[in-house]
Amino acid sequence: MSPVYDINLENVTKSFGSLNAVDDITFTIPKSSVTVLLGPSGCGKTTLMRMIAGLESPTAGNIYFDDIEVTRVPTKRRNLGMVFQYPVIYRGTSVKRNLELPLLSEKLSSEEISKRVHDVADLLGISGDLNKMVEELDNGTRQKIAVGRAIARQPQIILFDEPITNIDITAKLELKRSLKEVFSRLSQTIVYVTHDQTEAMTLADQIALMQDGVITQCAPPKEIYEKPKSQFAGWFLGNPGINFIEKEQISQTGTGITSSLFSQTLEAGSMASKVKALGVRAEAIEVNTKQSPHSRAARVVRKSLGIGGQYLLDLEYGSLKVKARVSHQLGREIGENVWTTVNSTDIIMFDENGVAI
Amino acid sequence: MSNSALEVQGLSKSYGEKSVLKDLSFTAALNDFSVICGKPGNGKSVLVRTIMGLEDVDSGQIIVRGQDVTDADSGSRNIGYIPQSFALYPHFSVRENIEYPLDLIKASKEVKAEAVSRVSELLKITDLLEKKPVQLSGGQKQRVAIARGLSKSTDVYVLDDPLVGLDFKLRERLIEDLRLTQEQLKVAFVYITSDPLEALQLAKTVLILADGKIVQQGSLADVYDTPSSLPSMTTLGFPEANVVPGQIMDSIFTSQIFSATVDVGTGHSSAIAGIRPEGISVGKHPGTISIDAKLTLLENLGSEFAAYLDIKGNQFVTVVSRTDLEGIKLLESKDLTLSIKPEAITLFDAVTMKKIGKGVSRV
Repeated sequence: MSPVYDINLENVTKSFGSLNAVDDITFTIPKSSVTVLLGPSGCGKTTLMRMIAGLESPTAGNIYFDDIEVTRVPTKRRNLGMVFQYPVIYRGTSVKRNLELPLLSEKLSSEEISKRVHDVADLLGISGDLNKMVEELDNGTRQKIAVGRAIARQPQIILFDEPITNIDITAKLELKRSLKEVFSRLSQTIVYVTHDQTEAMTLADQIALMQDGVITQCAPPKEIYEKPKSQFAGWFLGNPGINFIEKEQISQTGTGITSSLFSQTLEAGSMASKVKALGVRAEAIEVNTKQSPHSRAARVVRKSLGIGGQYLLDLEYGSLKVKARVSHQLGREIGENVWTTVNSTDIIMFDENGVAI
Repeated sequence: MSNSALEVQGLSKSYGEKSVLKDLSFTAALNDFSVICGKPGNGKSVLVRTIMGLEDVDSGQIIVRGQDVTDADSGSRNIGYIPQSFALYPHFSVRENIEYPLDLIKASKEVKAEAVSRVSELLKITDLLEKKPVQLSGGQKQRVAIARGLSKSTDVYVLDDPLVGLDFKLRERLIEDLRLTQEQLKVAFVYITSDPLEALQLAKTVLILADGKIVQQGSLADVYDTPSSLPSMTTLGFPEANVVPGQIMDSIFTSQIFSATVDVGTGHSSAIAGIRPEGISVGKHPGTISIDAKLTLLENLGSEFAAYLDIKGNQFVTVVSRTDLEGIKLLESKDLTLSIKPEAITLFDAVTMKKIGKGVSRV
């Protein structure tokens, strides 16, 4: 099999009029792993992928596959596979034919073509559908065929542009399962674009979080969720996003930081005067129905249900409001008091630019 | 005379042979956030259209503020409407878009000015009023669309799946906005959705729509904790409740994958067990039913993981919190032992789908 490449971006910019959709990105997408470009609409993730694909040319900067410059190389000579939002398949033909077609121009023996078609079908769990016409299948299965078409040629780089977004809700989970399986077996460099954080955290080896045309943080899912480097990352990941305690709600005494959310003093050393906000995840607020020596009293002002029957409580500590996630057994009535504690290690400090300290 | 804001009685609607709404009834009160939750294809859009007067009914009544409006035309029903797709008029400013429903009823200048300032403050769009839709982000557009729906000052609003297809983070913010709006206006919100998480996050009162009927109505916690039928349990909840068919004999429920002692009335043989994801945990725990399972997908939801499992060809799901370090450790292996809490099992009749009993705790 052909070698697998890192994708190196060097000062890549793409402007549309006065807007820099991608703004001077220098970054390496590591080979043989799954990198998810995640961010809200308009963050530049799709534009960046289209430049890697050669469907869009950078306004400035260069793109390399390892050290081979491809900035102006046309798409068809980049040896890429691509999967789009809507499955690209040939109608009026069988699943098998759809998988074979991209291989016919590859100078392969018929044995090799047949082997690859069956391997890919096996990997995607569509071996039983090979002789079906594509019209007979739901759009989740059609997207699997599109994935199969992209990988059967064994390109070095495979790009996915929101492949799950427009799939019927009933077929989404199965497609996700299939992609996860495919990603764990392939050794190619995979770049995957989505705005859906669950998809990103489920499928990624590393998430490159984008905002306003730049990559603000790139880290494995666990790290980016637990140690966001910016308020934006803390807010974007998680449902709900991280709770922020703004500067009006925190006090500095010497090198320590206090707030009405917790009773301990956070040691911030020489950075103390720079702390302008704190971040605490909803599940990091430990809620009890009884007072304990270090707990703080809060009033439940709202509640709603969420994932796995957990309650999301809106808690008020005087003028401070936060959300706390509690088990179903702990669901409290509105107006009641609870007592809460937070571990210091679960509190993130941010400076005036929203950057984690 | 009823004091409900909106009451639907025995509503039926068929298209040719296909019966979509089947003797559907419910009430929605003032100062309540009622969410009608149903899976796709259960007649949600037809229900909305009949309530709004955009579609005739075959039989039944629609009563708004105690008045039968079944045969009244759409405009005279005085129901605020927030549609699924938020087509704004591109050549109108945000202010003109919001005023539009009031222009239709020939409201005075003063009424319009008052309405615009009220709803734009509510949805925090006062600084956008003179802009054109093309200058707005997707989230701002949807806030304007909601504001337009609220501009007609009334006390009953129908919200037809207004967040469908929007970005994750945007939905999170709008869910917050909608809850606050309803709390401040103290009006009747009737919100229709197929998304169980939206229903869980928004509803004070929840109504389960299944097979053309409202099969259960109650407070969010009551419907979640004590579903009266299998569709109630599987419609409301995320991830969706696990379902296992089996047989009951001598107070023992037996299925392909587990058996449990159950407390059910007499006369039931075929039954279906429903178990919410939180009724199952990974690892072995005392007082539970242990079964072997294979992990097929671990979905990372941030604060928790949804673990999808295969048990002898049956699909199961459970939820493990990120803070449950022991559970997370166990998920590193594909082969797992699951523990089902017997008291978390709800039993439903296999024919009527109605609840017939519960599992019996072993502790």
